[in-house]
Amino acid sequence: MSFKLTKEQRDIKKAARKFAEGEFPDRALEFDRQETFDLDLWRKACEFGFVGVFIDEEYGGAGMGFFEHSLITEEFWAADPGIGQAIMSASFGAELLLLFGSEEQKQAILPDLVEGKAMIGTAITEPNAGSDPASATTKAVRDGDSWVINGNKMFITNGSTAKNLVVFCQTDPENSSRHKQHSFILVPTEAPGLEADKIHGKMGIRASDTSEISLSNVRVPLENLVGKEGKGFSQLMEFFNRTRPHVCAQGVGLAQAALEESIRHVKERYQFGKPLASFQSIQFKIAEMATLVRAARNLYYEAAWTVDKGKPDHALIAMAKWYAGEIAVRCADEAVQMHGGYGFIDETKVNRLYRAAKVLEIYEGTKEMEKTIISRSLLQS
Amino acid sequence: MENIFVIAEHRQGEIRDITFEMLNLGNSLAKENDMTVTSVLLGKDTGDIQEKLQKASDRVLVMDAPELADYNADYYLAALEGIIKEKTPRLVLIGHTSAGMDLAPPLSVRTGAPLATDCMDVRLTGDTLEATRQVFGGKINAELSLKPSATYMVTVRPGCFPDAGDLGKSAETDTIPVPEWTNLRGRHFLEYLTSETEDVDIAAADILVSVGRGIGKPENIPMVEEFATAIGATVSCSRPVADKEWLPKSRQVGVSGKTVKPKIYIALGISGAFQHQAGMKNADTIIAVNTDAAAPIFSVAHYGIVGDLLQVIPVLTEKFKNA
Amino acid sequence: MNIVVCVKQVPEVSDADLEINRKGSDIDREDLEFEINEWDNYAVEEAVRLKEAHGGHVTVITLGDEDCEDVLRQSLAMGADEAILIDEDGFEMSDAAGIAKGLHGVVKDLSFDILLTGVQSSDNSWGQVGLILAELLGLPYASLVVGIEMGDGKATVFRELESDTQEKVELPLPAAMTVQTGINTPRYVSILGIKKVRKIKIKETDADELNLSEDEIGAEGSCVTSRKLVIPSIGGAAEMLTGSLDDICNKAAQIIQDKGGLV
Repeated sequence: MSFKLTKEQRDIKKAARKFAEGEFPDRALEFDRQETFDLDLWRKACEFGFVGVFIDEEYGGAGMGFFEHSLITEEFWAADPGIGQAIMSASFGAELLLLFGSEEQKQAILPDLVEGKAMIGTAITEPNAGSDPASATTKAVRDGDSWVINGNKMFITNGSTAKNLVVFCQTDPENSSRHKQHSFILVPTEAPGLEADKIHGKMGIRASDTSEISLSNVRVPLENLVGKEGKGFSQLMEFFNRTRPHVCAQGVGLAQAALEESIRHVKERYQFGKPLASFQSIQFKIAEMATLVRAARNLYYEAAWTVDKGKPDHALIAMAKWYAGEIAVRCADEAVQMHGGYGFIDETKVNRLYRAAKVLEIYEGTKEMEKTIISRSLLQS
Repeated sequence: MENIFVIAEHRQGEIRDITFEMLNLGNSLAKENDMTVTSVLLGKDTGDIQEKLQKASDRVLVMDAPELADYNADYYLAALEGIIKEKTPRLVLIGHTSAGMDLAPPLSVRTGAPLATDCMDVRLTGDTLEATRQVFGGKINAELSLKPSATYMVTVRPGCFPDAGDLGKSAETDTIPVPEWTNLRGRHFLEYLTSETEDVDIAAADILVSVGRGIGKPENIPMVEEFATAIGATVSCSRPVADKEWLPKSRQVGVSGKTVKPKIYIALGISGAFQHQAGMKNADTIIAVNTDAAAPIFSVAHYGIVGDLLQVIPVLTEKFKNA
Repeated sequence: MNIVVCVKQVPEVSDADLEINRKGSDIDREDLEFEINEWDNYAVEEAVRLKEAHGGHVTVITLGDEDCEDVLRQSLAMGADEAILIDEDGFEMSDAAGIAKGLHGVVKDLSFDILLTGVQSSDNSWGQVGLILAELLGLPYASLVVGIEMGDGKATVFRELESDTQEKVELPLPAAMTVQTGINTPRYVSILGIKKVRKIKIKETDADELNLSEDEIGAEGSCVTSRKLVIPSIGGAAEMLTGSLDDICNKAAQIIQDKGGLV
């Protein structure tokens, strides 16, 4: 047993950190305030190979694991969550294609993601279907050689910037099992009838695009089915097993940044004639944060390791996801507390960390759903 | 009597300040140890310079050759190797300058003299030489001693010793014959290049607000410019900011940039490497702002603020706007 | 054109609170991050750029323990083709001349047109190794290089002098140069670069293989016989302004006004 990253993994982490520290800080405040992003920054990250490292070499990727993808995410989020999300979510959906997509779909979509020519998104949540995706009602109906899709999707990452979306559709509403009613279908965003509406006013990760999607008689060829018809729900669970370690990495990166910013601040800031770092109340906060970050990191490393070993441990992944979100929120909160008034201003990095953290307890499985998964694995056997 | 050599440095007909700083050190070491100071001057037609050296040396050795007109490692090494081997001085002082840094390491190999570079203080004690220098970015001082040797070699950090000026000496000048040039490597001096810019002359400013690595990103420079305007200052910078091209090279304060002596010098996020200090430490008043309380800049500053310039400067700017 | 670059791993100290070990011989390295020496990073970038412009092969060399392999892998990922690690802890107490001897043991058997090192390392700041190495090899050299232009069998080199002045010199090849910061903008390491490193076997050697005896390297072979480190007193002469941010700024504003700033 070894608790050390491989040399290559350390090199990847360091390269990602250097890139992010060099490129993100100059732009973070502007993107956050204006809810914008500069796509050139995403292209540059692609140029250096940071996007889609888990994609197989035959489709232009580095053929590495989801763990390596997560290590990059950790560093990008530590530099700035909004930019980190805008760049690293550009391949959100490639996991589905790799797992279940046809050879043609992989050839057509994946190389562009790596080269920075296109983004992808995955559309699951609906206005009335969040934690319970099986209640999604966006319908796809066969009509000749096409699927005709109608419905609305909510909070879709890259909805306005992606070239393609993998849409979670109800294809068999009559099936007696609610877990066999759905299928994933690949939909180009330029298809007539698809409208994307960028959502404004997000609390955090404001550089990243989130949109509402409406699909009205959108027609795509039958071959755009991803995987097997009726297997959408189980495919979704497999998808989350790959993407949740990535969310853990977001939380750990964010919490690490909160810790580092706090350490810097409390050594610099003097009150009552002494640096804040000399007060025990502050020292204990720092000790707690460091411990939480370490624990969350080790938990997600193990979770991601099970994924790359080919045997994803669903409950372990859920533990890691819940915990990473929880400690990210807590560490960001403590960081703002230690920064006092400065932490309340959006120019301060910890302020952006604080606002970004909350979503980690919400998206890709709320913490309540993660706990449901964990408890089920313990009590139903 | 044992001898201390000072290798005189000059460029384009001008003697360099470091020469007189070394003469100061050399003369005080000579006094303590009952030694003499010899200036060694390589060049072409260096009469004016010889006169200045005579006033602060016990002896001046001159070698005059067209090949020595401008510093060139090939010829300087060949000339000095011969002189040092023949005269066996106790100590050879060389400037820790662009010329001295280029010359000293190979010269120590050729002469077998142990070398300590970039020294801020030098002491001859018994049969060894002790020196003080800075390591780890100026955050730590190292005390060294060198193995016993007939001759020691030291490069002296600029700005550590006052100018010896005229010590009232009147050394004799001996001309050393030009040797047959051997062991040349084919290095040719071509020309000097000075940057010609129409930018403001920071050396002429009364007040300088100078930014360093701590500025973090170029987008923060306007904030500093606003502060500078509010107090009637000009903006200058340290090397990392010029290296990154956030401000033009013409704004760089320090050894490879400009030497300044304003009434007020405000160092923002500048750690204070000696190369920077050498360019600004003679300012009348120095105020330094740095997040690192151990930054070397606080050792030359008159007033220090431990803090993030990004937090301090906006507040400070308001004080002047409201005044 | 073949280029050899000597690089060093150094502790990153700019943001660190340094402490000295009990013997006073070194800083406490436990909690420090290690990086390629900043000057050497510029040297690697310059080597890779020269290779990209003129073709050839870049070999990087370092001397230290196995952890120093990190800087070799980074250099390979940036575009170097080959790497050699002199894995030898006998150099621990070496002075600059001792380090140069170790590097010389490897470099003397390589065929190259240009030998690059950084001007100095950020830890010891001797500024000696590259030039002693040049002398041991009998090469023409130039230090403090801020620009290199390749010619036919020669290089035109720009040296940084004092007072915003440069010196243009010509060196026949092969030649040695020590690279100053700012000569270029070092690239980021890419994932593709990191993957490329998988296929490269880093060569390892040690003092035995290089026929260097203990009395040539390490403390015995060094002219610097003792080294005691001390932390200079914090602040020195500066009067530190303390209090709330507002208090500090009021005091600073008063000083600026008293000394002649605009009111």
